[in-house]
Amino acid sequence: MKTIEVNKIDVGYANELIIKNLSISIPSNKITTIIGPNGCGKSTLIKTIARILNVKGGAVFLEGEEIHKVDTKEIAKRMAILPQTAEAPGGLTVYELISYGRFPYKKGMGSLRKEDYEYINWAVDVTGLTEVQNRAISALSGGQRQRVWIAMALAQGTDTLVLDEPTTYLDLAHQLDILLLLERLNKEEGRTIIMVLHDLNHASRFSHYMIAMRDGEVVTDGTPEEVMTCANLQQVFQIDAHLARCPHSANPICLSYQLCQAEKASACCSINSASKAYHQTASG
Amino acid sequence: MRTEKYKQHSQKGKAKRAVLVSVTLVFLIIIIFFISLNTGSIYLTPAEIILTLFAQGTEQQNLILFDFRLPRMVIALLVGTGLAISGAVLQGIVRNPLADPGIIGINAGAGLSVILFLSFFAVTTTISIILMPFLAFLGAAGAAFIIYVLSYKRSEGITPMRLVLTGIAVAAGINALMIVLTLRLNPETYQFLATWLAGSIWGSDWQFVLALLPWLVILIPFVYSKAMVLNILHLGEETSIGLGANLEKERRVLLASAVGLAAASVSVSGGIGFIGLIAPHLTRQLVGDKYEYVIPVSGLVGALLLLLADMIGRFIKQPEVPAGIIVAVIGAPYFLYLLARLKD
Repeated sequence: MKTIEVNKIDVGYANELIIKNLSISIPSNKITTIIGPNGCGKSTLIKTIARILNVKGGAVFLEGEEIHKVDTKEIAKRMAILPQTAEAPGGLTVYELISYGRFPYKKGMGSLRKEDYEYINWAVDVTGLTEVQNRAISALSGGQRQRVWIAMALAQGTDTLVLDEPTTYLDLAHQLDILLLLERLNKEEGRTIIMVLHDLNHASRFSHYMIAMRDGEVVTDGTPEEVMTCANLQQVFQIDAHLARCPHSANPICLSYQLCQAEKASACCSINSASKAYHQTASG
Repeated sequence: MRTEKYKQHSQKGKAKRAVLVSVTLVFLIIIIFFISLNTGSIYLTPAEIILTLFAQGTEQQNLILFDFRLPRMVIALLVGTGLAISGAVLQGIVRNPLADPGIIGINAGAGLSVILFLSFFAVTTTISIILMPFLAFLGAAGAAFIIYVLSYKRSEGITPMRLVLTGIAVAAGINALMIVLTLRLNPETYQFLATWLAGSIWGSDWQFVLALLPWLVILIPFVYSKAMVLNILHLGEETSIGLGANLEKERRVLLASAVGLAAASVSVSGGIGFIGLIAPHLTRQLVGDKYEYVIPVSGLVGALLLLLADMIGRFIKQPEVPAGIIVAVIGAPYFLYLLARLKD
């Protein structure tokens, strides 16, 4: 079962297409991560999936329905998004902002109903924000703020969560904290999570499915095992990667890397002892 | 359970505060209203005013109160309310606390059509008194419409930044045109125009109250019903889309409402600026950012400010200093203060 089907989409600004004729399926109840170098179109792809950008051709389907054609409020009941640059008015409290997640269910001026409060309280609880729920957003740290946005998206009560670089600008511990929260939401509640990450090792450790992009095209997609290979990373990022095993997830991670020289590109991987060692352990 | 109670309490706390602020504002408006009734070239004692209000006054007292002062003050209250709420809505749409109905060409458009009218007709004829607010309204709404069309792009719809920049450009163009037209006016007409542009609340007649009232009665409840949408728009474009707000449609509807409120107000008051900027801003300091509170409270703050400005204008000089000038004298420093504060 696929939650999202991207079918031959063309997307771009003005007259320049960034993505041409791209098709991909996002599996249900899994964590999917899109990786790729700057300007590869990963943000464009995720924004199109989130219906922030319109398609010039092709279509995106959410559970079989075309997202740019269905009532946007109906989509908001099934898919929540966390944009890269979310900014809250300073005066709002944590609880107030999270309660805005119930907007798709409100009719006119109607105040929050019991069911709404249940969702909001659950979202506050699961993101560990109970202690700070009455504080102003402006008084929070970056990590806490990101949790508030995730909580707001959770209050939407959707099966699918779309996140554009949810860990950017956070320190190491807070990055992990956000990813562990997403992992828990996926494991315990079966939520489908689609995100863009810059950190390859985080992507590999937390994803079931990875999509690697370059120049507006999908270079390769599959399990971390299939995507995180020397050859793929060379092709996607132009790097010569030293791979190893993640002690937590046993998925491949990138220990360190060199830039590939254009003329030596073909030789890049084979001369690397560390990656050879990795491939031996992988095959053996 | 304890946190549950605390939560409810905190939500109620904000509502309570908004009610408290509103009651205080209404109280202040009533006080200023009575002081204002007493302000003018002919002094009436408080006792005389109360007697006159209860239909016990002399003919002259009746004339002063019911035909001159009362309609004028009611207009000031209504215009202040309309401009303030229009400003609050605009600030929400463009997500900029420094937005004001002026940015969508309201004052420039109204001013231009008044000049055009004065270039061809005399001020004093009865027909002009009826026609002028009507034309001013059309001019204001027309300028807003032109700005909307010019900043519209098919792929993206209306983006706040383009709306603001187009607004500035169009207003500058209209102002230049106005100067050219002004040169052709005779001195008396020019004097009238200058007072009009300064925001003199010139339409001080019950018929203008009747012309203005329907706009407010229809648009303010409508805008209030969109309070939650404005809250969501405040979170930014992408978040609004994610929450299922139909961005393009909501912006268009809200923009049209803001234009309606401001154009109707300016058409009877003349070019009053700053109320739409200051009132919502003061309001946010008092009751926070939630539009359920911002809309009604900024209406009250706007009404109070303009009533006060009009009274001060009549108090310091007879016949009067235009209320718009008093507002600007208070508004300009406040605007600078806002800019200075926004930097950090």
